[in-house]
Amino acid sequence: MGAVAVSHLHIPDGVLAWWVWAPGLALALLLLVLASRRAGHDEGVQVALRGALGGLVLAAMAVELPLGPVDYHLSLAGPLGVLLGAAGAFQVLFVVSAILALAGHGGFTVIGLNALVLGSGAALARPLYRALRAHRSPAVSLALAAGAAQGVSGLAWFAVVGLALRLGVAAAPARLGVLSGIALPLWVVGMLLEGAVGYGLGRFLAKVRPDLLPGTTAPRVGAA
Amino acid sequence: MIGVMARIDHLASRGGTVWHRASALSKLILALLVLALALATRSLALLGALYALAAALALTSRLPLRLVAIAAGYPIVFSGLFLVSAWDGTWQTPARLLLRPLAASLIAVWLVGTTPYPDLFAPLSRVLPRSVGDGLFLTYRALFDIGARGERLWRAMRLRGGAGGANGRRLAQAGDGFATLVLYAFERSQRQYATMRLRGHQGRICGCRHYAELTPFDGWVALVAALVVTAACVLWRSV
Repeated sequence: MGAVAVSHLHIPDGVLAWWVWAPGLALALLLLVLASRRAGHDEGVQVALRGALGGLVLAAMAVELPLGPVDYHLSLAGPLGVLLGAAGAFQVLFVVSAILALAGHGGFTVIGLNALVLGSGAALARPLYRALRAHRSPAVSLALAAGAAQGVSGLAWFAVVGLALRLGVAAAPARLGVLSGIALPLWVVGMLLEGAVGYGLGRFLAKVRPDLLPGTTAPRVGAA
Repeated sequence: MIGVMARIDHLASRGGTVWHRASALSKLILALLVLALALATRSLALLGALYALAAALALTSRLPLRLVAIAAGYPIVFSGLFLVSAWDGTWQTPARLLLRPLAASLIAVWLVGTTPYPDLFAPLSRVLPRSVGDGLFLTYRALFDIGARGERLWRAMRLRGGAGGANGRRLAQAGDGFATLVLYAFERSQRQYATMRLRGHQGRICGCRHYAELTPFDGWVALVAALVVTAACVLWRSV
């Protein structure tokens, strides 16, 4: 039941039908080109920062939190989206997915889908954080944004796996019920965990380096 | 996972087999050929041949058997849901669903286990947007540094009582720990950029061109590629 990790597709090559993964890969590459263009003459320091945060995301993903028969991996898609913005976070998540594939966590063909699944949550995180920040503390805003980002990524994950089961490998519709039964609790737990980490992160950064968070007057990272 | 990646990295750089000495480009082309055929064919005989070939490549590259076994075993575990869902009462469907990822994961392990990461990333960085190509190198390098830093941090937190207490307190400590790592990552990126500038960085990390330098050992890779093409021609229409 390893495919159930809710936000990252640990699916090897050759399991999904090409009409599931190929459009995902094409869309991810297109978004990657657009994100790179948006970054423009992307100053080296931004590239270095994305590299460092990408390393942090990979390190966080390596931590396995046992939840019954499955392991939960933090994704940090929400905090990454808040810190870097949608375009920067998507580039990091594509690179992270590619390196994970090289390490045997998910096939090469699902790199695009993984980037899209995680990126969908990350894209939501900064606008949501900004909206919440008007009335709430940075810690609460980041916690809610991180939880919501994980929720969106989880929904995207469910949509991809559900589509694959319905179309890709010709499954009976009843199997989706089994999938939902396993994925739903993990989805909720994932949102809570990511929210908790987001809360700690927001609280600490607000005290120590508030300029790293969006919505401050001081110079901040992630102009994208 | 970080330990496995570090081990593969070491093996890829230190190995002395013909596969280690062949160019990254030829190995990448062979790996893509095997992957494409495994994904495209419905022939069980061809899938079996591709799997046998990928296994032979992985075993002859002197990678630890445990590592090869993990690569061979992970698709079985991770395909479980799909295998159960797709089972139609025949043995051919699950066999097909298993042989494809098995062949693909073994050829991937052979590729990354015999190719140092700068040579592996260099051709990829030429087809990806510039900032993403650079991100591959920088992220991979940062992983080991930040991973080690994180380990030291958790150890220090445990020793100082940070892992105890109520759940809320532990979660708050974990959040502080992650935040510390984020700050470290930010400061690290500043130092790294300063170093890149000092070393003459002009907006692109140039992957070395070693990846495309053909050697006599590429003949072995070409021979295997010829075998793959022959097998595909002969077995494509078989069951």
